[in-house]
Amino acid sequence: MTVDKQTEEKLIALLKQKINRQLLYYLDICARCAICRDACHQYVATKDVHYLPAYRAELIRRIYKKYFTRTGRIIPSLYEGKEITDDLLDELYKVTYACTGCRRCMFYCPFSIDTTWVLSVAKTILIAAGKGSPILTELADAAIEKGKNIDLFKGIMLDILKDTERKLQEKVGDPKATIPVEKEDSNLLYVALSGEHTILPAAIIFHQAKENWTLSLFEASNYGYFLGDTAKAKTIAQRIVDEAKRLKVKEVVVTECGHAHRVFKFFYESWAKEKYPFQVSSILEIIHRYLKEGRINLNSKYIKEPVTYHDPCQIGRNYGVFAEPRDIISQVSADFREMNPQREKNWCCGAGGGVVAQPDLDEFRIKTGELKVKQIRQTGAKIVVSPCENCRLQIETLNEKYNLGIRISSIMDLVAYSLLIPREQS
Amino acid sequence: MDWFSFLVAGVMVYLAVFVFITGMLYQIYRWLSVPKTNVRLGIFPKPKSKTARLLKLAKDSFIFPQAFEIDRKMWFFAILFHFALLAVFIGHLRLIQEFSFLFNILGNKGVERFAFISGGSMGIILTVALLYYFSRRFKSPYKDLSVPEDYLLLILLMLVVTMGNHMRFFGDVRVADYREYVHSLFVFKPAFNLGLSVSLSKYSLVAHVFFANLLFIYFPFSKLVHAIGTFAANLIRSE
Amino acid sequence: MAEEIKVDLELNLKGLLCPLPMVRVSQNIKNVPVGGIIKATATDPGSLADIPSWAKSTGNEILKSERIGPEIIFYIKRIK
Repeated sequence: MTVDKQTEEKLIALLKQKINRQLLYYLDICARCAICRDACHQYVATKDVHYLPAYRAELIRRIYKKYFTRTGRIIPSLYEGKEITDDLLDELYKVTYACTGCRRCMFYCPFSIDTTWVLSVAKTILIAAGKGSPILTELADAAIEKGKNIDLFKGIMLDILKDTERKLQEKVGDPKATIPVEKEDSNLLYVALSGEHTILPAAIIFHQAKENWTLSLFEASNYGYFLGDTAKAKTIAQRIVDEAKRLKVKEVVVTECGHAHRVFKFFYESWAKEKYPFQVSSILEIIHRYLKEGRINLNSKYIKEPVTYHDPCQIGRNYGVFAEPRDIISQVSADFREMNPQREKNWCCGAGGGVVAQPDLDEFRIKTGELKVKQIRQTGAKIVVSPCENCRLQIETLNEKYNLGIRISSIMDLVAYSLLIPREQS
Repeated sequence: MDWFSFLVAGVMVYLAVFVFITGMLYQIYRWLSVPKTNVRLGIFPKPKSKTARLLKLAKDSFIFPQAFEIDRKMWFFAILFHFALLAVFIGHLRLIQEFSFLFNILGNKGVERFAFISGGSMGIILTVALLYYFSRRFKSPYKDLSVPEDYLLLILLMLVVTMGNHMRFFGDVRVADYREYVHSLFVFKPAFNLGLSVSLSKYSLVAHVFFANLLFIYFPFSKLVHAIGTFAANLIRSE
Repeated sequence: MAEEIKVDLELNLKGLLCPLPMVRVSQNIKNVPVGGIIKATATDPGSLADIPSWAKSTGNEILKSERIGPEIIFYIKRIK
């Protein structure tokens, strides 16, 4: 059934707004060769055409042809140009919110078509039609709500941080070690995730490197970005940008969280139409910098078990950090093994793009994680290191469901633990 | 020239050239009139220098090595098809002016033989590649992805190539006669000379030109704009 | 005081990291009637701010939250 006239007009006007040159290229030039077939882990695992990258984008292309091209208006059937119907929106929902945004299809496409860029348009339309992912909407709204009421929560958060701080002092053996919050003129603002596991190891590393740092009150993750709602995504990220400006920090450091890397490095400035007065870096780059400058020294090759590294798509292919984590791992590990394929060709873990937060995709992500399982098994590694919370949650699920018998670690944990060994041994 | 030939191999050629050129210009204008997003959409690792970026662009656009890694069969036929197309295009330039350097080396007979072998084999390669493209469209998942445009273009291409092959393998007309026809187009007095008029090849020529005209007319409004769009899109890859 | 709250559904969210505690609560709130109460036990300290924020933005109500050792317990009332 076609959506009502008013909705149709609204959606088309919105689509028109979203059109940019890159999108036009992507919509106009796809040859439907489907070379992307074997690039997408979801298609490979399901053989369902809905998950073929070219098909996902084709759904938007059909709307575009019908409403935005001359020939498509005259002879829509030539391109299967389609009016916006509820069925089409439902199909769009299925292909769009399942996409992990890994952009492996873009890597292999002969024209480098960025399917996720096309799908970001699909998300805009879905949201406007009242069909955005409900759970991602709730999570995004919760983050915005937290931003609005930060003074209400600050007390509780500082209270929890006291616990973490005590642990830090104990671990590093320094009763004066602190986890500074809202400290002006710090060198860097560290943006963690909610939860101690991303704060404590970083605090240990910063303490050992004698860094002048401060912890952000907000978490790096951005469900507005996953939802595809630019306004919400901007509001969520802005909490941190404002904080960084207020504290006059030189550098904003993003924790091991894939999509946050991309949001802060590539998206926010465009959303907000402004230039940062600070730098954005990955915690991996910071750790690597400390090692190079000799500010921290790792306990050499203390891990004897075989270790492998999973390149998070948003940190490798889509952000460009490949060498640093490998360098760090091989300093502490005697037996580092690469996955095959790796780096820019690495398979997605299967749960990026907000998939991990959508319960109706739980089975799907376990099924489509089979390629990752195979890769991990092939390495024979006992420890899988990955600097993305999303990837780690997924690999932990896979570990459980496929009985991989592995342990999963962040880079920060490896480093922090390595830093502490000499102390614990003495 | 009979009236039908005059319409198809004369008037329609001008129309096709006109539509093709204005259509492509319109398409480029359409692209350039829309602002780019300033989100950098590139993927890593990115080439470091400007030269490296251009080299990568050329590599990605002309031989798309990444596709080779995951779909060798399709890559093979795509490369075959596109390079044969390029060769055939160059071959057709002989209808404007004889390649004198070849003529000097090989002599008259030699050039004819070379043209027969190269043109003939390219014609066969194109046919084979098109048949592969076509058969692929009938299998899942390609079938579910394909739209009428895909079949239409393949059919048009096949008709053009088949008619070309027909002239190449069964024709009894010499290159000079075709060249005379092409020259007549240039001076806006389209005509077939006597040799061409009385030959059966006239019919395959008219059909060849007819389908080629249709292809050129549709080109700017089809996915074939990837012929130029690929450079723009592949450049975004390293932004 | 805790005994006075009549709980319709208990959720064990121990060991779950953000965003999963919120996701599970959101999923399960549909399983209690309007006016019903969920008792959710989490260990992720982040949920101390996350769950109340979620409740506020979805229009549900946190009746009470308490910390017992590493455990954080929420009593969430479904309002709509």
